[in-house]
Amino acid sequence: MKITRALNQVAAIAKTDFLGVLRNKAAIFFTLLFPLFFIVIIGFTFGQSGTEDMSRISIGVVNLDGELVAVNATDSFNSTIGDLFVQALETVNFTVHGYGEYGDRDTNGTAAYAISRGDIDAVVVIPANFTETLSFQYTNNLGAPVPTKAHLELYVDPSDTTGSLIVQQSVFGFISGFVKEYQEIAIEQAPPDTQDYLQVLTDPLTVSISEADVTGNDLKWIDYMVPGTLGLVLLWSGLNHASMTIATERTKGTFQRMVIAPVSPMVVLVGKLISALALVYLSAFIMLLSGVLLFQVNLYWNIPVILLAIFLGALSAIGIGLIISSLAKNEEAANSIAVIISVPLQFFIGAFFPLSIMPAAAQAFGEALPFTKLVNAMQDIMTRNLAFDAVVPEILYLAVSGLILFLVGTIAYRISLKRL
Amino acid sequence: MLLLNDIEVDSVTKRFEDMVAVDNLSMSVAKGELFGLLGPNGAGKSTLTKMISGMLNLTSGTIKVGKYSIQDDPMKVKEILGVVPQDIVLYDYLNAQENLAFYGRLYGLPGRKLKNRIKELLQFTQLDEKAVKRHVSTYSGGMKRRVNIAAALLHEPQVMLLDEPTAGLDPQNKHALWEIIQSLKKQRKTIVLTTHMMDEAEELCNRVAIMDHGKIIALGSPSQLVRKIKMENTITVVPDKTSSKLVEIMKSVAGVKDSYLAYDENEKTETLKVITDNPDDILPDVVSAIAKDGTKVLSVQLSRVTLEDVFIMLTGRSLRE
Repeated sequence: MKITRALNQVAAIAKTDFLGVLRNKAAIFFTLLFPLFFIVIIGFTFGQSGTEDMSRISIGVVNLDGELVAVNATDSFNSTIGDLFVQALETVNFTVHGYGEYGDRDTNGTAAYAISRGDIDAVVVIPANFTETLSFQYTNNLGAPVPTKAHLELYVDPSDTTGSLIVQQSVFGFISGFVKEYQEIAIEQAPPDTQDYLQVLTDPLTVSISEADVTGNDLKWIDYMVPGTLGLVLLWSGLNHASMTIATERTKGTFQRMVIAPVSPMVVLVGKLISALALVYLSAFIMLLSGVLLFQVNLYWNIPVILLAIFLGALSAIGIGLIISSLAKNEEAANSIAVIISVPLQFFIGAFFPLSIMPAAAQAFGEALPFTKLVNAMQDIMTRNLAFDAVVPEILYLAVSGLILFLVGTIAYRISLKRL
Repeated sequence: MLLLNDIEVDSVTKRFEDMVAVDNLSMSVAKGELFGLLGPNGAGKSTLTKMISGMLNLTSGTIKVGKYSIQDDPMKVKEILGVVPQDIVLYDYLNAQENLAFYGRLYGLPGRKLKNRIKELLQFTQLDEKAVKRHVSTYSGGMKRRVNIAAALLHEPQVMLLDEPTAGLDPQNKHALWEIIQSLKKQRKTIVLTTHMMDEAEELCNRVAIMDHGKIIALGSPSQLVRKIKMENTITVVPDKTSSKLVEIMKSVAGVKDSYLAYDENEKTETLKVITDNPDDILPDVVSAIAKDGTKVLSVQLSRVTLEDVFIMLTGRSLRE
């Protein structure tokens, strides 16, 4: 009878607490939709990164290769290799716009005008002697080829520091590939007795860069992001909600009314825990579902391990929330403390940036956080398709830290009962 | 054993570090009695009611509610106690029915019984059936107060603690709540009413305790307390003309203890003072005696001794200080 009554009380407290979020627009945004908002923004910004899609980079080309040029006192206007270069740019899917001259920023129709207005991301100027140089037409008095390098000019947009770096790297990558193709053809056309010599001379060292097959799937950047965002769910739905719930009820007096009813303080705590867990799972579900529906994330779904990891991670988040909620003077103070803690923590859990790019102390701090362990475990399970065995250390860490933090939260909650 | 008292507070002290909020206080509230606790802010009223309801632990002493000790059987005490807090303690995102259902489940009321009880209480507190389906945040102050009381009545408690239940209400809503409290009194519930309002205490309470500095400084029925202090009720008459003959006429009216002429500095006029125990009863006789003398009455004022006067006499402060 007593157990039935306690269960009924727990259900009433959990339901009322949960409705408090569902019927409050601000709470819905910050506890449920904020992580979703994050993933949508990030997904649409970087979601397609990792594929070979260059079409988003617009290159302006000023191809002067067909213009008249003097070679060994003879007029030439051959454009064969310059045209091949432009064709290759289009083949690798850059968006290519042709211009007659580089010009200046005030002359409409020139490449300089277009880049200054952000219509294109970069300009490549192909010199008039591009074909003549690369086909060894410059010779000395004896008729032997004079080694002459072709010189391409690349203009990028200095007002977009990050974007210009990405464009620069992409164009350099393309040029490197183009040069390699050219060298192979040049060597093929050299006299047979000099081919081996030329091959070593022109290409003394080769480096092959490839991506290891770590997933069995062809992953986009968003596929790595989604498991990481589960860490954000814990911070936003778990920690933030738990930090507000008791502080808000204490400020409004509803907590005192629960205490003067024949309800054990532990029943109140369990009711709050269930409500917070329901919010975390709901938020995680919304997050993962939106990843699937909006960005077609390509992940592995080991549901029992995902549920277990979220539960253990949520214990830590709710434990910290309980400590804040119990010690804060009122709901405003609890809210401020929760924001001060949860916002910086987002950057240390490996959800946005890999910890490896951080200073050693920040890495150590990040590695110690249970939320980082959750992110690591979820990436192992959901993107790398590893078995449960592979994440046992992370799960154990989550379990131990979850129990410790929840226990400390419970102690703080019991202390707070003395100052009603 | 038949219990005569529903609340017994025996030598209770509550200390907060160096501050003594309740100082070796003893009192009892009889079954079916409506007991008023009066006192200025910081007198110790809230601390005392929080200790009775089990929200605060006692530093020393004992409190019994019904046959249970709050220290030994807090859950049993909570079962028979209904508390109406001073603030509106409701979830503003729930409607009245949902709020009552929530508190009912905390008190272990089963489904059908709870539903019926909510219906009864909504009728008892005169809450409009359509309005109770709206969120509490949309209610008027009076409606919120009534739901606040209904939430404390769900489990049909024998003993109730009402902490300033009419604070901030307009006269109409205040009187509506007084009717509810009167009907609880008729149901023989034992009620402790904490209030700042003297008229409320005089109207509703069987007995009143005046608290100050954590102690009870006066205890008795409102009329007993008024009699304890040596102040008298006065009828002040402003006639169109005064004379010593008028004073003698007044002294001859039945129920008049004394009469004299006094000059009102503020109004710059001479007034006739009539001292009596029952100003309401003899006022018509006083007015007709003056009229028989051929004197016109320009104005009449009754100065009755109230609990406020008692309080000021005892503490040297007004209740709101």
